[in-house]
Amino acid sequence: MIIQEGMSIQRKLEILSDAAKYDVACTSSGVDRKGNQSGMGNSVACGICHTFSADGRCISLLKILFTNECIFDCKYCINRSSNDIVRASFTPNELCELTMEFYRRNYIEGLFLSSGIMISPNHTMELIFVALKMLREDFQFNGYIHCKAIPGADPALIEAIGWYADRMSINLELPTADSLKKLAPHKNRKNILKPMRQIQLRRESNLEYLGLNNSYGGSSYGSNKNILFDYSYSNGNSSGNSIISSKSNSNKDIGSNSNRNGNSDISSNSMILVDKGSGSNNILMEDNSYSRSPKSKFVPAGQSTQMIIGASAESDYHIMSVSEALYNNFDLKRVFYSAFVNVNQDSNLPSTHNGPPLLREHRLYQADWLIRFYGFKTRELLDEKNPNFNIIMDPKCNWALRHLELFPVEVNKADYYTLLRVPGIGVTGARRIIAARKSAVLDFKDLKALRIVLRRAVYFITFRGRMMYPIKVDEDFITRELLSTKEKLPYGIEEDITFKQLSLFDDINYGTGGIL
Amino acid sequence: MKSIKIFQCENSIDGIFTAIYQAWSCGYGHANVKIEEACEKNNYSNIELFSEYILIHTDFEKAVKVSRAIKRKISEEVYEMICRVALSNYQGKGDLIYRFLILGFHIGSSIVDHLSNEVVNKIFKINRFVSNEVHHFLGFVRFSVHKNDILTSLIHPKNNVLSLIVPHFVDRLPREKFAIIDGNRNTCALHLPQKPWVLVDVVDSDSLDEYHKQDGFDEYEDLWKIFFDNIAIKERINPKLQRNNIPLRFRDDMVEFIPVSRNSILP
Ligand code: SF4
Repeated sequence: MIIQEGMSIQRKLEILSDAAKYDVACTSSGVDRKGNQSGMGNSVACGICHTFSADGRCISLLKILFTNECIFDCKYCINRSSNDIVRASFTPNELCELTMEFYRRNYIEGLFLSSGIMISPNHTMELIFVALKMLREDFQFNGYIHCKAIPGADPALIEAIGWYADRMSINLELPTADSLKKLAPHKNRKNILKPMRQIQLRRESNLEYLGLNNSYGGSSYGSNKNILFDYSYSNGNSSGNSIISSKSNSNKDIGSNSNRNGNSDISSNSMILVDKGSGSNNILMEDNSYSRSPKSKFVPAGQSTQMIIGASAESDYHIMSVSEALYNNFDLKRVFYSAFVNVNQDSNLPSTHNGPPLLREHRLYQADWLIRFYGFKTRELLDEKNPNFNIIMDPKCNWALRHLELFPVEVNKADYYTLLRVPGIGVTGARRIIAARKSAVLDFKDLKALRIVLRRAVYFITFRGRMMYPIKVDEDFITRELLSTKEKLPYGIEEDITFKQLSLFDDINYGTGGIL
Repeated sequence: MKSIKIFQCENSIDGIFTAIYQAWSCGYGHANVKIEEACEKNNYSNIELFSEYILIHTDFEKAVKVSRAIKRKISEEVYEMICRVALSNYQGKGDLIYRFLILGFHIGSSIVDHLSNEVVNKIFKINRFVSNEVHHFLGFVRFSVHKNDILTSLIHPKNNVLSLIVPHFVDRLPREKFAIIDGNRNTCALHLPQKPWVLVDVVDSDSLDEYHKQDGFDEYEDLWKIFFDNIAIKERINPKLQRNNIPLRFRDDMVEFIPVSRNSILP
């Protein structure tokens, strides 16, 4: 491992932002919080993009690793222990200053802190805890914080950090336990799902306590809920994993990189963890003044996760089923999909020489959207026989073509969810139709005024019983028409669908239901 | 045929509301009155020969009456919408608002459902345009840090959105002294801790500009650029998507898109 002594903050930022960029989540959404007079920051539920990087993605948060040192060896990751790369770590103080100074210049909405695993999951999570506590309490930062939980860390640490973070995420990484074992040999499914469940239950009980809980009515977890929160975290003085002992042997790793007061930061703050550590339970809780306030919220913006797409062999059907289960059973706010980039040029992993699988990623996001906002179920979109999305047609069109028996629908009568199933009509469009038809019987020309593009919708709707053109509802005909009106794909993906690429996909069953 | 009376007013919410009050109460009939706000780019080439021009002086009492009536008889939501339209760069917004209010006072709060009506639709469209620009600037405003810890920001919005974005920053940065300058309109919003923020006209725009641009050495601007460059995934570089998400017109005022300055520590 290469560790540079006395590394400048510029160099650290370079290394630790570079190492963080493959994490795709960068939203700052999900929580509305007013500013307070004593501190700096607020939060806006819809999220704010502050700029867009050269790859076109929104930058909203200072997305950064605490350290890129790592004892794990995940095959797909640039930071894996077997890679010979320059390693760097922030001190909590450096991280706080960077966040505050970026924030007041309005560069960012807040911090997205992730990390490699230094020494042990607990050791790393302790450092993160110290940093977040310092940021909230000493620096009085009131903006958005998204924090990664590290699989295998003690539940008490997750509990403690959850009071400082707006959102937490534990990456699922791969859709199946099998692939996880192969590609991330040090991680296991249980260590990922356990903290996810812990955060979910804790959020529910917190919302209930605050009287904000109305959506979980039929929660099935029953009364044993609270038992789960009785964490003990005994930070034994002899434990080689803990930050205390690291004072003697690993100050070099953490502290010496700092040209300011890094050393004292860490040790003085870690005292918080240490002091009461001798045998007593809930040390972290007691010291967590955030959680003492009766109005505190635990991970108020909920949790998200991420899966890497195309590093392992799972089908889209498999991936979407996993997402659906995460939404339904773990109350996740978002599942992110990250097109695999073979950063390590590892020959055991698929090559991404022709670019990462961006179109596939795009299709998954479209389907994800259908599941979250359109009332679709995965089984309606894909099944064992058609396990992958159609590359030349979006999932909703594809579904509609296979269910022509349900069309056309009458725009003046159809309910919200029926309208949503019409290709070309989205959430805003359906809402506008419902609002507009309260005051008038709608005709084709009105839809233009509502900014609804008819190109696709015409084949699926009637106005006062009439279709725009006399069209016979015939699968082949509509398929041809729909394909001739080119789908608007995000920039950069459209070039993806070239003949060459199409032929690459030849051996895949696209789930077209025989329309091609 | 009756000649048309044209009520000319200042290009501001209060100016437009005053004119609406006057036009409404003159008893000349909605069809025979028209409101025309003085606008930045109006060259008055469209002066109509047979119309009567009436110059309206902004009168806050009358303006308040109009706002109150909108809030009471239509809705708070519509009031806010109309304010945004009044701050837009749409030429003829004064008269559009007038036409909208004729319908609004008649129909009430459900006016927002009448999207297939042309006037309502237009109001919605402009409202959306202004709201989007406001939202953009909440993210795209960049503050430079000066001596005495004063923060300044220069923006060039299409619409007159300054007063719509400042409250967000007042809430967010309550302890900061900051100024946001609208370089297109030479107005400036000032905030001092514990004081209500104010909007002022900039008299000497050159010196303010200079003050804003004066390149004091700010380490964090360079750090931000490092971050900005590093966070992009090379395998996904996509200038078209980037341009779609952040149009070029914003970039002149955003430090990460400005070439490295003289004093920079970067090579
Ligand atoms: S745990 Fe795995 S994914 Fe995370 S930094 Fe370490 S090697 Fe990378």
